[in-house]
Amino acid sequence: MPETGALFLTNQSMTAPGELLGLALNAGAILPEGIILLAMLGTLLVDLAGQKAAAKWAPPICYIGLGTSLCLLALQWNGPLEPSFLGAFLADNLAVAFRAVIALSTLISLLISWRYAEQSGSPVGEYAAILLAATLGAMLLCGSTDLISVFVSLETLSVASYLLAGYMKRDARSSEAALKYLLVGSAAAAVFLYGASLLYGISGSTNLQEIGVALLTSPTPLAALALVFVLSTVAFKIAAVPFHQWTPDVYEGSPTPVVAFLSVGSKAAGFALAVRLLVGCFGAFDNQWKLLFTVLAVLSMTLGNVVALAQTSMKRMLAYSSIGQAGFVMIGLVCGTEDGYAAMVLYMAAYLFMNLGAFACIILFTIRTGSDRISDYAGLYQKDPLITLGLSLCLLSLGGIPPMLGFFGKIYLFFAGWADQQYLLVVVGLVTSVISIYYYISVIKMMVVKEPHEASEVVKAYPSIQWKTIGMQPLRAALVTCVLVTAVGGILSSPLFQWANSAVAGTPLLQEAIALTGERALG
Amino acid sequence: MTIAASTELICFLILGAVVVLGSIGVVLLTNIVYSAFLLGGVFMAVAGLYLLLNASFVAAAQVLVYVGAVNVLILFAIMLVNKKEELKPIKGLQLRKILSGAICLGLLSLLIRVDFTTPWNLPGPKAIGEDATERIGEHLFTDYLLPFELASVLLLMAMIGAIVLARRDVLIQDLDTEKAIDLPIIENGKEPLLIDKTSP
Repeated sequence: MPETGALFLTNQSMTAPGELLGLALNAGAILPEGIILLAMLGTLLVDLAGQKAAAKWAPPICYIGLGTSLCLLALQWNGPLEPSFLGAFLADNLAVAFRAVIALSTLISLLISWRYAEQSGSPVGEYAAILLAATLGAMLLCGSTDLISVFVSLETLSVASYLLAGYMKRDARSSEAALKYLLVGSAAAAVFLYGASLLYGISGSTNLQEIGVALLTSPTPLAALALVFVLSTVAFKIAAVPFHQWTPDVYEGSPTPVVAFLSVGSKAAGFALAVRLLVGCFGAFDNQWKLLFTVLAVLSMTLGNVVALAQTSMKRMLAYSSIGQAGFVMIGLVCGTEDGYAAMVLYMAAYLFMNLGAFACIILFTIRTGSDRISDYAGLYQKDPLITLGLSLCLLSLGGIPPMLGFFGKIYLFFAGWADQQYLLVVVGLVTSVISIYYYISVIKMMVVKEPHEASEVVKAYPSIQWKTIGMQPLRAALVTCVLVTAVGGILSSPLFQWANSAVAGTPLLQEAIALTGERALG
Repeated sequence: MTIAASTELICFLILGAVVVLGSIGVVLLTNIVYSAFLLGGVFMAVAGLYLLLNASFVAAAQVLVYVGAVNVLILFAIMLVNKKEELKPIKGLQLRKILSGAICLGLLSLLIRVDFTTPWNLPGPKAIGEDATERIGEHLFTDYLLPFELASVLLLMAMIGAIVLARRDVLIQDLDTEKAIDLPIIENGKEPLLIDKTSP
């Protein structure tokens, strides 16, 4: 049926010359990103004045930039929904929520990284600039509604992540991590481009909404192929099994603050991309992508949590646990109900605090002892109560133990899944949660239960605690904030629930998808 | 068939053959220099295909970027890393080759099948020929303005990152405490973390 196909040729390539130049850009929607760009240029400029100036001035510039950006994002909440850049970007509530999560994760990652970067002898200025560029790419990715801007922002995020992974030049594992990430990531990007070119070939447009309309009116087998290609890229970004092979090696080799950013910020961007592409564009293939995502979620939860049991390195354990956590978040995406999406947003926000809190603790331990091994944490409560308390609370929250923030996030996800009759996912989620509690608790047991004489050599030779060195105060502030939010956020979580619900309510894309699913369930 | 159409068909067949055979050669030849030159040939042939589609700007960009920059860079890299090294034989290489070959053939047959069952929008949008450059410029400054500007950030960051990674000097003194960098973070990194030495 080539005749009907011709109808879907949109007029994008056929507009009269000069017509597009008269339209409004609405560039104000990317003002938060603009501020981050300014902060990035600022850190690069102070870096020209030498290492000392950079170490002194880069942190405040980053704080001001990210803080202003977060304030501007708050102002965009429930703002007018006008597509900016002629349909390349849309600042709906979902985009604002995910961009805020990303900006906040960068802010906390930066707070915990100054001391680590200096102690490992890495230049600080360029590090901050590259991390801000990654943030810029990730934030733009959340709001992109056009295949080209999706690809360019995805590449900005990815290339910056490769550079960050290889930032510790003296550690051979860091270079290995960067090379592995680069090779696998480029392959994923190529697959995405192939899928995107197929989508353009079918619909004649690069706008996600127009592609969605074209796919609804004429679903072809080619579109299913494009779906698989695009989905594999999304799965790579959120490290879902079986696209996870890069994760443990990259997480182990990269500098720890970078891992903190990759496991939260980059993953949040991946989920925003998943919502934009799958919900916004592949509405016609609803059942297919939900089935594929169910498989991915079950595999991620099972493999991530089971393999984490056997790890002896803290970073590697958190890498596998983050694969499992991504599996939990996918439950919300598969549901496709109002509660499902809200639970996804809520869990991402909760995961931000508990995971970064755990990373702040293990970075502090690494700075003081230089060790990353779980067995070296034995008997730590005697020497360092702050790390012990913080790490225990964050790990308990990651495992989903009641009064913590993570419990409420998880229970909301499971509730949404159960209401949508995703019994398989919920049961697998519950079982793997129990498994995850086992390995989280065994770390806590290692720290708390051991007698003083059973403490590891590292802990016996523990240095005296001092916070005077540059970069230690921000680390402490980040640690205390994350742990506080994790511990108290659970009890006071009702504003977070409201926030997540209004994020979904203020997003026309999700509302349409929910209405569609509702109609199908009735019909 | 008119002369124009048959000339176009012949050109397409020749270019297609160059692309297919060239890329097979790139993958299968063991001498990396031959592979690099064949890759240049493939890029040129792809530029020729663009010309056949009346997209002269894209063809010129293809020649400039891929043949002029990427391929020359590959050749330079080969020249600079001229080191003979005996690699350890990989176990089960034959099996892996067969497996990956089977997967690739499966993907190819899937693509061919989908290609024939899809109703394509033929003849597709009309090529605008010489106006293309102007139109591309217009799009770059209207509906593709955001990715265009973001690409400049991407390039800036990639350049800085490449310099940072290639630079030799690393700090050896702690800026704050003036002590030599204490290396436990890195030193401990050298030993494999998976083998737990402390357990009995």
